[in-house]
Amino acid sequence: MSATSAAETTEATGTPLARLVAARRAAYRADVVTDDPPQLTRGSASRRLTDQVARVVMWASFGLAMVPLVWILGTVVARGYELLLASSWWTLSQRNINAADVGGGAVHAIQGTLIQAAVTAAISVPLGIFTAIHLVEYGRGRLARAVSFMVDILSGVPSIVAALFIYAVWVTTFGFQRIGFAVCLSLVLLMIPVVVRSTEEMLKLVPNGLREGSYALGVPKWITITRIVLPTAFSGIVTGVMLGLARVMGETAPLLILGPYTKSIATNLFDGYMPTLPTMINQDRTEIGLDSAMERMWATALTLILIVLALNLIGRWAARRSSVRR
Amino acid sequence: MTTRSSAIIIVAMSGALALGACGSDATKTGTAATGTAASDCPTGTLKAEGSSAQKNAIEAAIKSFQTKCSGTTINYAATGSGAGIKQFIAGQVDFGGSDSTLKDDEAASAATTCASPAWHLPMVTGPVGIAYNLPSVSSLVLNADVTAKIFLGQITMWNDPAIAALNSGTTLPATKISVFFRSDESGTTDNFTKYLKAAAGTAWTVESGKKWNGTAGEGKPQNAGVATAAKSVEGGISYMEWSYVTQNKLGLAKIDNGSGPVELTSASVGKMIETATQKGTGNDLSLTLDYATKTPGAYPINLVTYEIVCSKYKDAAKGKLVKSFLTHFVSADVQKSLEALGYAALPSSVSAKITAAVAAIG
Repeated sequence: MSATSAAETTEATGTPLARLVAARRAAYRADVVTDDPPQLTRGSASRRLTDQVARVVMWASFGLAMVPLVWILGTVVARGYELLLASSWWTLSQRNINAADVGGGAVHAIQGTLIQAAVTAAISVPLGIFTAIHLVEYGRGRLARAVSFMVDILSGVPSIVAALFIYAVWVTTFGFQRIGFAVCLSLVLLMIPVVVRSTEEMLKLVPNGLREGSYALGVPKWITITRIVLPTAFSGIVTGVMLGLARVMGETAPLLILGPYTKSIATNLFDGYMPTLPTMINQDRTEIGLDSAMERMWATALTLILIVLALNLIGRWAARRSSVRR
Repeated sequence: MTTRSSAIIIVAMSGALALGACGSDATKTGTAATGTAASDCPTGTLKAEGSSAQKNAIEAAIKSFQTKCSGTTINYAATGSGAGIKQFIAGQVDFGGSDSTLKDDEAASAATTCASPAWHLPMVTGPVGIAYNLPSVSSLVLNADVTAKIFLGQITMWNDPAIAALNSGTTLPATKISVFFRSDESGTTDNFTKYLKAAAGTAWTVESGKKWNGTAGEGKPQNAGVATAAKSVEGGISYMEWSYVTQNKLGLAKIDNGSGPVELTSASVGKMIETATQKGTGNDLSLTLDYATKTPGAYPINLVTYEIVCSKYKDAAKGKLVKSFLTHFVSADVQKSLEALGYAALPSSVSAKITAAVAAIG
């Protein structure tokens, strides 16, 4: 037992997905196994020394890893909070606000970011979840291996490459304009592998006993998947989707290439430029000498962090609401 | 269970969207009387991209245009002249902004995209000032030859005989000259070194370009960087956009172009622009600037940025909007207002030509 919990601890320090997997695995196990943690006896002096050293190293590493996080958050909050307190930030756009003008609003960019994220999610979540269902529930043989391999490759594609691919297809080949929807397409490429991988892991964690029980009652496979497997894994899937969404919302490369900034409100995905928070940051970034632009840049960064945070909280809350009750 | 929780998510998300959706563009100025919807006010959106040298000027013009015509939106992305030309040729933007004129092959591609010849319309002139920090000297005259030697580190003291020869009657202090140049690539450097190459002849021994190739002095990033540096050291000298000289209360050198010292003013810049020869034909107003001009009263260190437009737009509504915006941009009021931003107003003889060309856009 202690060996397994050690393995779990190692797992828990990995990527968000690995942590999620570990947590879910532990949750399922808790349903079946309920033994107390093993009692440690006092070891020899050298073993206690090793223990102390390991403890110090662990806490030091933890502290070190926290430094950049706290530093970044602290800087962004300290430099950006002022503009966020003004109501105009949440109700106006940057129309007719030039770099040297103070303040203005971010509502145009917030709308753009949310719309693009929503459309990206609407395309990639069904695609990702169905792919994962295929891989876990149906996929056997060559096709499944090929799909799995492709998803692996896709998850390793840098965002700039995804953006340039869409640019090559959308603008160079078809001669279309750079519009919000093209941005969504490249974001879809980045979000699909995240959704597939996390959903796949969640589905694999659903105990086979549940599926077998369902079959034993004569329930067809597709109803078993929709009524038993998906609800059981739902909270994990939602968390995975939120992770993917957080990734694409902060993505900048596709926006720089496919989604030029505009200072006015623009909500049409299919015509004209569409402002987003990352491109708004980029717009003010170049005006190094101007305090007004710098202040706006930090405030925009803080806004983006807050929105991603809010989405994550909503996701967690929804996942908790929906967890299968015994 | 699943349906209820997805309903929760949908409600939450649409809530967030709705929250965003209640915003408005209205940065409305209280006075509604500022010429609302005049007869020359079409509606629509324009996309433009290019030179960062004219960013502040065009943004100011956009602001006043959008205020006058509230149904219009003009987007200008200051991504650089090269990017502006590329996007214009690719048909991604309605007009491009560029510091340099189109090369022959670029002009041909642009004409294919437009299905009509593309025109250069000079809209913004940006003079470069030579700023110095000598509290005891209120007026300083330099010429191209001496400037080149100072910036190459060959003249190191302010009381050097070469400087004194240009400034008879002024007592020059025995202060060391501290040269500051731009450490980043910039159009200002390009423009300044082009002038030195053209006007100083053999005295300017290094290449001109966006990157500073001299070896003397100290590099600082951005206009603000060189201005602050020159201000902090007595005896400092640097080149920068006009507005930074005045903002930092530095001395502004007069340039002796061979026909006597010339002060940097809108009028003296205008004189230099008037001496430029038109390279294009008809309404294509691409100019060849004569940096080595000896016209009395012409300030020689200038940059002209163009808007590159189609002479006839495939989409008539776009053409109308481009026309309306550029008419506004070239108008005397707007040009005059650019002086506060460190640009010089176009001389009336040139702006008359531009106005005629803008009117001919179809």
